[in-house]
Amino acid sequence: MPKNFLPIVTKTSEEPPPPPPPSGKVVIDPITRIEGHLRIEVEVQNGRVTDAWSAGTMFRGIELVMQGRDPRDAWIFTQRICGV
Amino acid sequence: MTNPRLVEGSASAFEERLTRQGVSRREFLKFCGLMAGTLALPARYAGRIAHALETAVRPPVVWLNFQDCTADTESFLRASQPDVDDLLLDILSLNYHETVMVPSGRMSIKSLDDTVRDYAGQYVCVVEGSIPTRDGGVYCGIGGRTALSIAQQVCSQALATLTVGTCAWEGGLAAAVPNPTGAVGVKDAVPGLATLINLPGCPVNVANLTATIVHFLTFQQWPETDETGRPHFAYGDEIHEECPRHEHYEHEEFVREWGDLGHRQGWCLFQMGCRGPEAHHNCPSVKWNDGTEWPIGAGHGCLGCSEQRFWDRHSPFYVPGDD
Repeated sequence: MPKNFLPIVTKTSEEPPPPPPPSGKVVIDPITRIEGHLRIEVEVQNGRVTDAWSAGTMFRGIELVMQGRDPRDAWIFTQRICGV
Repeated sequence: MTNPRLVEGSASAFEERLTRQGVSRREFLKFCGLMAGTLALPARYAGRIAHALETAVRPPVVWLNFQDCTADTESFLRASQPDVDDLLLDILSLNYHETVMVPSGRMSIKSLDDTVRDYAGQYVCVVEGSIPTRDGGVYCGIGGRTALSIAQQVCSQALATLTVGTCAWEGGLAAAVPNPTGAVGVKDAVPGLATLINLPGCPVNVANLTATIVHFLTFQQWPETDETGRPHFAYGDEIHEECPRHEHYEHEEFVREWGDLGHRQGWCLFQMGCRGPEAHHNCPSVKWNDGTEWPIGAGHGCLGCSEQRFWDRHSPFYVPGDD
């Protein structure tokens, strides 16, 4: 072992104890690098996810727009649900 | 521009960036020629465009997605001849675009807020998708705010707002009858904007978006528009008049059934519902898919997607319209 070897663990008695695992709610909105609008909320207790919610945060009502129209046009409308 | 954060570009730095991206000088000049052509300028303007792009201050751009399908973003990102999107990203500083940016959540919103604060009056705002107004605008939310409130804040402080696609222009698909969410375009969501350039189409043609920005960087002014804010170079001509099938219309040679003799011979699609006579767009010359084809060329009628309220006025789409 070389002389100047430094141990990886450098913890001394004066160091404060590590912070407790995080708890609370984490919200990520907007989720990026996707098509559309997405919001994620997670409930965290002691560093672990205990509950989660996802929400699409955009609505156009394409089903309502299509009602009563010529069925031959359906593909032209529904194609625009997602352009990716 | 006087903001010290905006640094004027230099030709050598620009060329270095192009080389890094594998775009040759020849390809770059070809692109400038293409832009001159799209803008209906004489070919000699290509040199002026090239010089302007090499030395232009890269304007910060924020791209807002609202009630959209991301097809306008796709149109922008999928262009590949000669890597128009790379060239565009070289002459712009795209500070906020949810579909492509690395940060998410609060950090992405910070990118937007920082740009609006630091470059007020100097950034370009691109809007994709309509803006819902019913029930307080709850039908589109980003970062806990409504699309309406974001649009009002961000568009009103921009140097210019460009709408891409018909939805951002006047409501588009979401605003079709019965317009369940009270969707409107930017012109109605944020009335009175000093500079609003509308680039409708379903989706926008990236050649027209690029040419609009190139026009601004070259001449320090936005292209001339009609009374609805659509640039003349892209929306000045009627598709029907420029249509390569127009001669068949004159001779009353119509497709009457899909796959019939006329269809196979490339006759006029008017009887099949083509809205070319009601549509103003440069599709016949600029075309789509890197300039290779367009709907009428592929044997389907035009939907007239660059016109106001086309979802209601032009449907049912397979019934002949007015000529």
